[in-house]
Amino acid sequence: MPHGFTDESLEPVEFKSTWKRELSVTSAESQTREIRTDSVDVQSYDTLNQAVQTDLNGDFSSMLLVNTNNQNLAVFLHKVEPVVTKCLEKNLKSRAFDGIRDPNEKLSEAVTCVHTLCNADLNEQLQVTGLSWNATGSTLAASFGRFDHEDWCTHRAALCTWNLDRRSIKEDKPDTVIDSPCCLMCLDFHPINPAWLAGGNFNGEVILWDLSQEDDLIVATSGIGDDAHREPVSKVHWVKGQSSKKQDYNIVSVSGDGKVLIWKVDLKKGKLRLHKGFVLMSQDLPRNMKVRGVRGDKEVGVTSISFSHEDPDLFVLGSESGCLFKCNLHAKGRPAGSHIISSVPLCSPVTFTFSPHHGPVHSVDCSRFHRNAFLSAGMDQSLRLYNMLQMQPVLTIEPGDGYLFSAKWSPARPTVIAAVSERGNLLLYDLRSGQMVPVHKLEASPNKVPVYSLQFNPQEKRILATGDGQGYIRVFRLGETLTSVSGHENEVLNDVMSTGTE
Amino acid sequence: MAAEVEETLKRIQSHKGVIGIIVVNSEGIPIKTTLDNSTTVQYASLIHSLTSKARSIVRDIDPTNDLKFLRIRSKKNEIMCAPDKEFLLIVIQQDDQS
Repeated sequence: MPHGFTDESLEPVEFKSTWKRELSVTSAESQTREIRTDSVDVQSYDTLNQAVQTDLNGDFSSMLLVNTNNQNLAVFLHKVEPVVTKCLEKNLKSRAFDGIRDPNEKLSEAVTCVHTLCNADLNEQLQVTGLSWNATGSTLAASFGRFDHEDWCTHRAALCTWNLDRRSIKEDKPDTVIDSPCCLMCLDFHPINPAWLAGGNFNGEVILWDLSQEDDLIVATSGIGDDAHREPVSKVHWVKGQSSKKQDYNIVSVSGDGKVLIWKVDLKKGKLRLHKGFVLMSQDLPRNMKVRGVRGDKEVGVTSISFSHEDPDLFVLGSESGCLFKCNLHAKGRPAGSHIISSVPLCSPVTFTFSPHHGPVHSVDCSRFHRNAFLSAGMDQSLRLYNMLQMQPVLTIEPGDGYLFSAKWSPARPTVIAAVSERGNLLLYDLRSGQMVPVHKLEASPNKVPVYSLQFNPQEKRILATGDGQGYIRVFRLGETLTSVSGHENEVLNDVMSTGTE
Repeated sequence: MAAEVEETLKRIQSHKGVIGIIVVNSEGIPIKTTLDNSTTVQYASLIHSLTSKARSIVRDIDPTNDLKFLRIRSKKNEIMCAPDKEFLLIVIQQDDQS
């Protein structure tokens, strides 16, 4: 059956999409505002750089003002020199003017508080753990931290400085603030360079800051390796190095782990290099302090150090056990136990042991005026005066004012002693008065909290600073009776020191 | 000769407590000093007039006599003056105790 194919056209069917919409396009115009450019010339005025340098070693120089006949001058000087020399020498030995005092002249006795400084940002949370005056005596630095840790240190501590010579001093705002991730425990300014400041923190690290730097103030640090302290650093101190160079100073640090470490500053590497070390061990304790069953090479925590002003190798250590030790930088005592790891050999520095305090020693200080005198103060509330040559203290003062946290000799007068106490007082004693009551008792803390630190200004000898448990620092100016020396004071101190020797 | 002068001054300066040395000429003008300018001028003019006064007293009492040395002791220091025909040497020494 044949199939026939036929053409067929079907009507297209249209339907609108239900889900697509028809696109519609319109055109629109927009115009941004025209960008205008202006060119203006600005010119600042010329700057001038001027460098100023002070000389550290005061060289002798004389100025010639008018041209003159040198020949005659030399002859004249030759003639008068013997007379002048004789006089100069006589004057030094002369006692003619000792104790002469104008009866009409009244020496001011008052001790006045000139400043009460604090860092308002710290909200009274931190204690003043250390104070130090710089080489010129104008800047006071304070380290902030806490002594009472039960755990890791999570405090945000700081180091603050105030320049007291500035006219616009803000008492609640320091000139410089250096933040620290953990508590700072102590600090000490370089004895010559007024910008260098050494400090120790809770982690056992010793740090050197240069306050004259712009951005990174830390110039060298000991790090926290095997060589560093394993306990909070309790004191740092600058000592003269062996070389004859004037600027050569090393840092000595002591800590609760019993170590006394001497660090050399290596500025190129930004490191403090361990140069020498000592360790205080329980075998150095006097017999009645030894505990049976404790190994002889167990460390004893060091809380304070003071170097003799006469003999640069001699120093005194105060310990947590209450013992006081006379030590020498060249001592070669018993070596440390094998459990202590260190890159330099450690040995005991002790040459003599004094009769101990009945509690931890907080402070020791050697006298500038008597080669054998040193002071100690501690938790047993007593202030003791020792002679380097004898075990028993030559004098014990018990102020009854709570724990004593620091005691210092006056740099101006041989018989004046200052101490700070738990009840917030600054006590000033004068051994010349013969009575063991303070000649002055002043509130060194605005809220009567314990006062932890005390420092005399070595340049401006009338000035003294204290720091308390809420971060308040008070700067006192001592009256003339406490700062001007009259003839026989050295002898008074000698008399006190020699009691008990006969 | 200049070196010898310097040496002598250095020797005097090296004594304990010496703060400053001034050499003044007969007109009262300082010619050598180890102190700063204003202090020098002040010391020179004041001490010079005092020394000439003292000298005239000595010579008025006895014309054959002459002033050899003048010491001024003050609370803070001692000023020593050695006068001569042409020059006057002033040395200031600090009191040992203060």
